[in-house]
Order: sequence, then C-alpha cells, then structure tokens
Amino acid sequence: MIGQLVQSLVDALSAGATLGLAALAIGLVFGVIRLANFAQAEIITASAYCLIFAWGLGWYIAIPLSILVAIAMSLLMEFAVFSRMRSANPATLLIASFGLSFLLQRVYELMFSNNVRTAPVASGLAQTVEFAGIRIQLLSVATIVIAGVLLLGLNWFLTRTSQGLQLKAAAADFRTARLVGIPAGRVIALSFALSGILAAAVAFVLTVQSGAVGPTFGVQITILALVGAVIGGIDKISGSLAGGFLVGFVTSLLATWLPQEMSNFKDAYVFVLVIGVLLFKPSGLLIKGRGVART
Amino acid sequence: MTERIEVAEPTATSAPRGLWYRLGPIWSLVSLLVIVYFVTLINSFLGESVQVQLQYALVNLIIVVALQIFIGTSGVLSFGHVAFVAVGAWTVGLLTIDPELKRNLLPDLFPFLFDLNAPWLIAVLIGGVVGGLLALVVSPVLMRLNGLQAGIATFALLGVVNQVLTYWSSVGPRSGQSMVGIPDVLNLQTTMLFAMAAIVAAWLFQRTRPSRLLRAAREDGIAAASSGINVVSQRIIVFAVSGIVAGVAGGLFALTNRVVQSSQLNIELTFVTLAMLVLGGMLSLSGAVIGTLVFSLVDVLLVRLQNGLEIGAYVVTVPQGARAIILGLILVGMLLFRPSGITGGREFVWPFRKDRPLPGMPPTNES
Repeated sequence: MIGQLVQSLVDALSAGATLGLAALAIGLVFGVIRLANFAQAEIITASAYCLIFAWGLGWYIAIPLSILVAIAMSLLMEFAVFSRMRSANPATLLIASFGLSFLLQRVYELMFSNNVRTAPVASGLAQTVEFAGIRIQLLSVATIVIAGVLLLGLNWFLTRTSQGLQLKAAAADFRTARLVGIPAGRVIALSFALSGILAAAVAFVLTVQSGAVGPTFGVQITILALVGAVIGGIDKISGSLAGGFLVGFVTSLLATWLPQEMSNFKDAYVFVLVIGVLLFKPSGLLIKGRGVART
Repeated sequence: MTERIEVAEPTATSAPRGLWYRLGPIWSLVSLLVIVYFVTLINSFLGESVQVQLQYALVNLIIVVALQIFIGTSGVLSFGHVAFVAVGAWTVGLLTIDPELKRNLLPDLFPFLFDLNAPWLIAVLIGGVVGGLLALVVSPVLMRLNGLQAGIATFALLGVVNQVLTYWSSVGPRSGQSMVGIPDVLNLQTTMLFAMAAIVAAWLFQRTRPSRLLRAAREDGIAAASSGINVVSQRIIVFAVSGIVAGVAGGLFALTNRVVQSSQLNIELTFVTLAMLVLGGMLSLSGAVIGTLVFSLVDVLLVRLQNGLEIGAYVVTVPQGARAIILGLILVGMLLFRPSGITGGREFVWPFRKDRPLPGMPPTNES
C-alpha cells in the first residue's frame, strides 16, 4: 500500500514536471508578447520526430539535434508569423497559433504520413527499478531530474544574467521594459528560444515514454499545458509553471486512484476544476487579487 | 471594430436617404440569402459527391452563424460551441433511431430513453432546445470571464461535455462506439432552408436589445457598464440564443452524417468552424456566411483537384494532403494580412450607397 502510494506520487510528480515544463514554455512567450502559442505542440512534435529519426546515429547526435530543431522552429515561427502580428489582441494571436498548429500538422502528415514512426529512444529509461520494495519507473525519476536541472538553470539565467533579467523585466511589463531601453526584438527572440529548449525537453520525455511519434504527437500535452498555464496565472512565469504542474499532478493521481468506471472521466473532473478556478481566480492561482489579467 | 452601431433613427425630413438607411440592413440579409441560394444551386449541378460536401458545408454554416452570434456580438472567444452541437446531435440521434434498433445497439441507455421517439423535424428543434438549455445552465459561470480565460473555460466545457458523451453509456453508445441507424431524411434543399432560417434568425436577433447592448459593451466595456448595461446578463441571453442555433446545427449534423460519435464533435470541428469565422470576419453576420462559403468552396475545388480536374486538354492535380495545407495557409495568410477577415467585420450594404457616417455621428474609425 505504502509502496503503491509512493509509486503513484513519483509518477504524479513526473507527470506534473513534464506538464509544468510545457506550460512554462507557453508562459515565457506569453509574458513577453501576450501570445498563448498553441503551435508549441508542433515544436514538440518536430523535436520528437528528430529524436526518432536520428536515434540510430547515437544519442549524442540525436539529443542536441532535437534541441536545435526545437529552437529553430520556435524562432522561425516568431519571425515568419508572430512578429508580423504584434498589434493583434491575445484572442486573435491564440487563433493564429491554432491555425499555424493545424497547418504544421498537415505538413507533418504529408512529410511523414499519418502513421506513427517508432524507435527505441533511450529504452534504458523505460525499465523499472525496485528500491526498498517500491517499484519505480526510471523514466519518472529521469523526468523529475531533467525538470529540476532545467528549472535551476532557467532560474539562474533569469536572476543572474543580464539577458535573463531583461527577459524577466519584459515579461513583467513589456512597455516599461522598452522604455528603459531593453531591446524588444532580442528579448522576444530569447523567449522563443528558451521555450524551444523546454519543448525539446518535453519531447524527449514523451518520446521515451511512448516510443512512437505521429503528426499530432504534441497536441494533447499542449492543450493541458495551456489550460494549466491559464489557471496558474499565465501572466507570471512562476504561475504558468505551477499551474501546469498542478494539472499534471492531479490528472495523474486521479488516473491512478479513481475506480475504473470513474477514471474514464478524469479529464472531465480536471476541466470542471479548471472552470471553478477560473471563476474564483480568473487571472490565475498565483496572481494576487481577483483582478482580470491585463490583456 | 468597424461596425457602426445604429443609434440614431433617421428623421422624417431626410426621408429619401433615411429610407436607404432603413433598407440597408435588409439588403445585407437578402444578399446573404441570395448568395447561399446560388452557391447551393450551382454546386448541386456538380454531381453527387459535391452535393454531400455541400450539405456538410451548410451544416457548418449554421454552426458558424451560431459562433458569430456569440463571438461577434460579445467579442469574447468561445471554443465551447461544439459542445452544444454535440448535445444537439446526441438528442436527434436518440430521438430518431428506431426504438427496436436502439434497444439492441445502445443497451445501457436509461430505460425511459428506449421508447422516446420523435419525427426528425421535432427532434431537431428539441436538439436546439437542449443546446440552448446547456448554454443557459453553464453561462452564469462562463460569462463572467474575458479574453484568454473565457477561451480556456469554454474549451474546458467542451472537454467535459465530450468526455461525458464519450463514456456515459446511459445516454449514448459505449465508449469507442458510435450511434448508427439515424434515418436518411435530410436533403440538400431542406438543409439550405435551415441555413437560411439560421441567417434570418441571426439577422433578426442583431436588431434586438440584448444584441445591441452587448455590441456596445464589446466596443467599450467600461463605458457600457457605466451606462447601466449589465454585461454578464446580456451575455447570458446571447450565449443561450447561440446555443440554440448550435444545437439545431448539431441535429442537422446528425441527420447529415447519419452516424454520431463524440470524436467527430470535438477540437477538430471547433477549429474548422472558428477558422471559417475568422476567414470571413467575426464581427459581422456576412463574415460568418462568406467565410464558411469561401472556405467550403475552396475545399470543394481542392477535392476535385486532388482527383484530377480537366481544364480543356490539361488535367490539373494537386497531391493528396495538399488540400488541408492550402486551407491552413489561407487561414494563416488571412490572419497575417487581413486580420479582420474578408468582410473586414462589415455587413453588406446596398451597393450603390457609399458608407458615409450618419449626420451627427463621428466618422467610424478603423482599429
């Protein structure tokens, strides 16, 4: 019983960590240009395809390549599409990112067909280890470690480097940040690049988990990440992270502990929870006060 | 935000021009109906497969009109309308499938649902009522939210409804299965009449008090609230009305598709219908109609091109799969270069009239 409890907690932590990273990637960009980038899903998918196709060449090639592809796609989206719609409101930007997501999915379909592509990516992580009578998936531990390292690194970057501080300032109040001379274009590009790195990490975890990648690979997690980011408080970088973590954590626990006939509805419970949170804290759990997010 | 809010009634002294101003909105309605009629007429000559595609397009048209009633009037994003479409489709499925068949196909239903049956027209109307009721029930919660939060909350509603319909076998098929045996009663002409009725209803509704008040609130929420408009309650009314239209569209979808399954009434349909609305311009009814028709006609054309279209001595083909990419490119390009859509958020007006501001009104400014 205790073993099961610990096991489910570790799983929930790792699910929360993955979703937290995905939500953070959305929140980073949103903080700066008010874009909830749904096409983040296709960055994750591209990075995952890259892992699958390049894994045969060795992990030391596949993993850096997948990160590069994610960063490149992220920057490309910014320069080709979003940089041209700076004056649009968040709702229009969200629809534009939906459109881009739909478009890229079809491109993947044409390039790689509708069938999933498979490869044993980091299959060593897929096994379970037994530790003091508790069976734990190695991948769950690896996910938590990856997320921890990335978050520490990001925190260091945002608080200790000049570039990072500029990004943080821009996320807090873009207009004022520009007034004090922070270069807008560079900060925006930086936020897209960072979100690309986070997307690559999410892609790695998901690819190891499933070993199969299709055109809509990244959609499910991005939807949940978007939901998480909004209920946590997409206006604040930490809010997105916490919201994403919360949604992943709760969903995973519900999946484990609800009886079979009820666990079918686990997403429905989460969504009801989401509506409830939005009703009482429309700007997000981590944002003080009841005010509506500035848009 | 370009639409002129009609506040000043034309005075008797400016009768000739005033008459045009009175007729202007009617022209916008008539021209839309004529366009729908001709598109239906022309395309029904192109063969059986196009007819089927066109019927789906007309059903989508009604969904887009429902979206426009809410999104266009309130300026609030909704990803949740397909939930009302879904319950409308479910209702019609449950009411029109033969009771014997229902007993065999859907054994877990609530017992009272087995013998419930209605002619298809009544069933469609009941579908509308159910859609409207669902919208009414959830609206006090959802209508308080704005912007991105509203988008996420309505999306969450879609998620809940979709999961309930997928897994709750007391009101539908077991998970992974679909409702079959819906009678083949709907033809293209009837669907066209429904689409026209939806357009007329939306047009009439634009002229009512809740719609006008909400459009005022869309333009300037703070000014509207300080003029005594209760934005939330106006939104609730408008949301319920658009829920009714979406429910009817769902019923027609069930009769067109003849198979109802929750996976078809989810994100994909939400996205496609929203894309149509954005393409046309979400602030006007004309935008909803034009967006849907243009999107659907391009789709019809691309399907023909995929199968190879003969133009004179040449056969033009596009590769399989290119169709969706082209549709996606059109949408993204539209958002980049003309974010307010084909119609720019305006209604059609009598073609000979230049769009001049009314006397005493400030000139409309583009934003």
